[in-house]
Amino acid sequence: MSDFPQRPIAQLLGSNGPVHAVTYSASPGTYILTGSADRSIRLYNPSSTTPNSTSPIPQARLIQTYSAHGYEVLSLSVSASNAHFLSAGGDRSIFLWDVATAQTVRRLGGPQGGHTGRVNAVSFAGVEDSLVVSGGMDCAVRIWDLRSQSHKPLMVLSEAKDAVTSVAVTPDGGEILAGSVDGRVRGYDARMGRVVTDVVGASVTSLCLARDGETVLVGALDSKVRLMDRRDGVCLRGYEDAGWRNEELRVQSVLGGRERWVVAGDEMAGEAEVGRDVSEGRVWAWDLMTGEVVAKVRVPWGGEQRKKVIGKDGKEKERKNVVSCIDWKEGGFGDQFCVGGTSGVVTVFGQ
Amino acid sequence: MSYKRSRANYEADLTAQQSPYVVFGTPLPPLDPDVRDDGSYVPVWKQEVRDERGRKRFHGAFTGGFSAGYFNTVGSKEGWTPSTFVSSRSNRRKDDANAAQMRAEDFMDEEDLADAEESRRIQTTAAFAGLGSTQDDVSRATNLMGLFRREGDTMGAKLLKKMGWKEGQGIGPKIRRKARLELRQDGTDKTDSFLFAPENVPMIKFNRKIDHKGLGYAGQSGRTPLGLSARSSVANISDEDEDDDGSGGFGRPKFSLSVGRKKEKEKTRGGIGMGILNDTGSDGEDPYEIGPRISYNRVIGGDKKKKKTTTSTNPALKTQPKFIPRKTGLAKVALGVRKCHDGRLPLEGFVWGKGDDPLISAISSEGKYPPPNIPPGWVSSRKPKAQAASKDFVSTADAAKTSTLDPKARAALLGEKQLPGKSVFDFMSAAAREHLVTVTGKTDLPPARGEIPAGFMVSEAERLQEPLSRVPKLDKEAAVAALARGTGAGAPYADNDAKRSRYRAYLEHQAGFRKEFPTKPPDLNNEEWLREFGEFFNCARIFKPMTGFMASRFTTSSGTTSNGGSNGEVGDKELISKPPPKPKDPAEEAAKLGMYGPLTRSVADFYPTRLLCKRLGVKAPALVQPEDDGAAGNSKKPNAPSPFGVFGGGAPMSQGSVGMEFTSAAESPVGGIPAETTSTQGLGVDTSKMTATPVEVIDPTKNEALESTRAGDEVFKAIFGDSDDDDD
Repeated sequence: MSDFPQRPIAQLLGSNGPVHAVTYSASPGTYILTGSADRSIRLYNPSSTTPNSTSPIPQARLIQTYSAHGYEVLSLSVSASNAHFLSAGGDRSIFLWDVATAQTVRRLGGPQGGHTGRVNAVSFAGVEDSLVVSGGMDCAVRIWDLRSQSHKPLMVLSEAKDAVTSVAVTPDGGEILAGSVDGRVRGYDARMGRVVTDVVGASVTSLCLARDGETVLVGALDSKVRLMDRRDGVCLRGYEDAGWRNEELRVQSVLGGRERWVVAGDEMAGEAEVGRDVSEGRVWAWDLMTGEVVAKVRVPWGGEQRKKVIGKDGKEKERKNVVSCIDWKEGGFGDQFCVGGTSGVVTVFGQ
Repeated sequence: MSYKRSRANYEADLTAQQSPYVVFGTPLPPLDPDVRDDGSYVPVWKQEVRDERGRKRFHGAFTGGFSAGYFNTVGSKEGWTPSTFVSSRSNRRKDDANAAQMRAEDFMDEEDLADAEESRRIQTTAAFAGLGSTQDDVSRATNLMGLFRREGDTMGAKLLKKMGWKEGQGIGPKIRRKARLELRQDGTDKTDSFLFAPENVPMIKFNRKIDHKGLGYAGQSGRTPLGLSARSSVANISDEDEDDDGSGGFGRPKFSLSVGRKKEKEKTRGGIGMGILNDTGSDGEDPYEIGPRISYNRVIGGDKKKKKTTTSTNPALKTQPKFIPRKTGLAKVALGVRKCHDGRLPLEGFVWGKGDDPLISAISSEGKYPPPNIPPGWVSSRKPKAQAASKDFVSTADAAKTSTLDPKARAALLGEKQLPGKSVFDFMSAAAREHLVTVTGKTDLPPARGEIPAGFMVSEAERLQEPLSRVPKLDKEAAVAALARGTGAGAPYADNDAKRSRYRAYLEHQAGFRKEFPTKPPDLNNEEWLREFGEFFNCARIFKPMTGFMASRFTTSSGTTSNGGSNGEVGDKELISKPPPKPKDPAEEAAKLGMYGPLTRSVADFYPTRLLCKRLGVKAPALVQPEDDGAAGNSKKPNAPSPFGVFGGGAPMSQGSVGMEFTSAAESPVGGIPAETTSTQGLGVDTSKMTATPVEVIDPTKNEALESTRAGDEVFKAIFGDSDDDDD
């Protein structure tokens, strides 16, 4: 159990719907950006908090709200300079934002060459963040050049047979990884001019590269997170637990605590959850080396009282607090992490 | 507060004003063209469904508009509700395990089914199959049994065939004898003897002699050709015996006399000329008979009938109306056509008995000749013995009911040895007893002990051995191969150390390296343990040596095999064979087994654009995608390896020029860029050179391609022929 940060130190309120993406700003990771289903992106400072009247957890300060998306925001990426960030969402377009002015600098996408489906993942890439890599429901990874003014992407990688759910760029910049619903992780190696396809089996929903770029954490919809060696495609270790199920939803998993732990959200569908109050989400942490569960952290629903949702069948729907997105400060090397999910409240955990 | 009156109120007021004297019923609406008449007739096509507020109901532009359903009744109380679209993307019907599978027969109509049924049955024609059988034996076919003859084999024949009997063979054990080869009969019996099926002995049938025909007379069925239908042979015979007395040649009264008559009538209608074929000069005369016809008496004891005067000159004579005396006619009508055996009609007042046929007589004699009545007061002289014993007769069941003895007491009475004092419950498990309690509702059942009878007691070693016998066996080569592969990278269960060691232990045991069986891990029960062995077995089978692997690619035919019966019946197999399941992707299979590594990895070519490589900060590979105005389209087609590359010419002109921009900046040593290099300057290496030399080590100061001596002209000529104007 040791020193895993389990104490909720702040709550980021304000979203009017589930939160689909959270990300810390680039080093030193002072700020948190959240992308929400209410079409807006919010910038918080988790370190300056004010006490909350309804919850024992203090409330972090909301600094800025960015709204230009017409649909939900699904993915965020902050540039290394912290001057810009990218957002992508259900409106098939990617926005490049200026952080200070809260204005969109560029819009990538459109009828010519843009994504033809929801954009699931977006990431900066290349030297001085001059490229944008995005993957979407249209089974393609698109690479955009921010230096040129072209509306068309620089390249379209359409090897994927199903929607691309996650992209990652190696720290040396030479390789672009794309995880797809067809159960494969494709590594596009620009240096060698080859694409390496690793079959995982179940649909891949999450990718997280280690800092050295040698290993990648692959989350798949078979209730198992795998640490794969990128050199030869060997699975170094699998992380699973009988109480943890991930078979339906995109649940992010990241490396954290100086790459000591594997941290993943929970879709709250395991056997243990049947009959339990599922309004309280959970975050699971495994030891990277041994594969044993280190911690199960409870994530309170947070914020105001839950709204009752009536389903199509007329019954009240059970609202699970699915913890779907997670990010660790400073790319896994900081001292805190934040999680977001269906409750719409992002909770920051620290020591 | 002003409000608008509703239309209904307004109209109600209007009617009240117009017709104030209506007390009962609904008044007619005022004769005002502006006022709506709700009761007026509106044709169906003009009627509209409106909601409770009187609005026309709109269903969305693409879901029916103003006219969804029958007269826009969708969604109303009377109308149907359109089903909402439910995506089956994640819930595929074909993936559903318990979905009802459609068979090919479900799509067949009756004709198709009949055809399919037809195609299943292969059999010889009946006449051929019956060569050695008694199927076409006329004497059998015509008698009463022939009436009930069933088509095909009898059950006895079927049973015999299942036991190996074939038609034409006799029944019984095989006989050792010499082969009878009719062709060579050279007296010298040196041939070996073989086992043969016994000879078919013709069945001897003992017929009761009830007619008056000579011994051995069997009608004329001996001459009937093979395959002649029973009906025609009957007709023949009846023709033959038409002038005999009523009984036919088979010891039975003739049932089908009228048939014979009719046949004969047809025969008399000859053509114009009288050939030998339709000469009806004498009935039943064999036109091909050679020699004088010997007329013998076929009936013993009867008068030899006067030969009928055959006046063939007038064949129509028989059909002429003829006077029949009343007595004879009446008798004929009343009694049929039967006469006594002496050819006369029975005496007046007598009728023919109908008990000629033994079968019929046996049946009909019951009521006809009842046993004589016992005279009243008659007492038998013999006395039954057990009169007294039957007086207080008690059945066994009643005796048992009244008995108060239990089995033990009965055993004591009988002097039997006491059984060991065990009840059923002693051998029952607790769960079974619970079940009994819930079923019967009795709670006072004896406790269950769960003992095992001595004969069924399993020793501890056997109990351990039992699951081991169910462990799948792997052949040695495969186990060794799997062991060899299991050590390197990409071994199965790399992510689970405990399982991996169990896997190794299993392989070692199967390969024979280790004698004792791996011990059962404590956290698994027997079932899980065995299931895991099955998983190991499947996993290790992948490493089977190549020949075995290839052999397993060929599956056995799924066609049906005939069971060898002569009727060619096929077993209850499917009519249409289903295609074998599609072979799955081996990479997917390997991933399912957790064998990540070389099995799950595949490498393909990727042609990044030069600009992408530049932006990514890496040097471009040998083959790059051409740029089109900085923004490449979707085309992934690479440059074909240009022939210029061979000669170090770099690339086509456009790419060469791109590369040239950076040649000046190529200052840093480039031999294998370290991953940390992020400077754009250092990375904008002379890409044209890099494409030229696939080797990693590049000397930036020297362009070998440019500085080496140019290849001879004849080389260019040999390659490019007459198009050598282009290269310079």
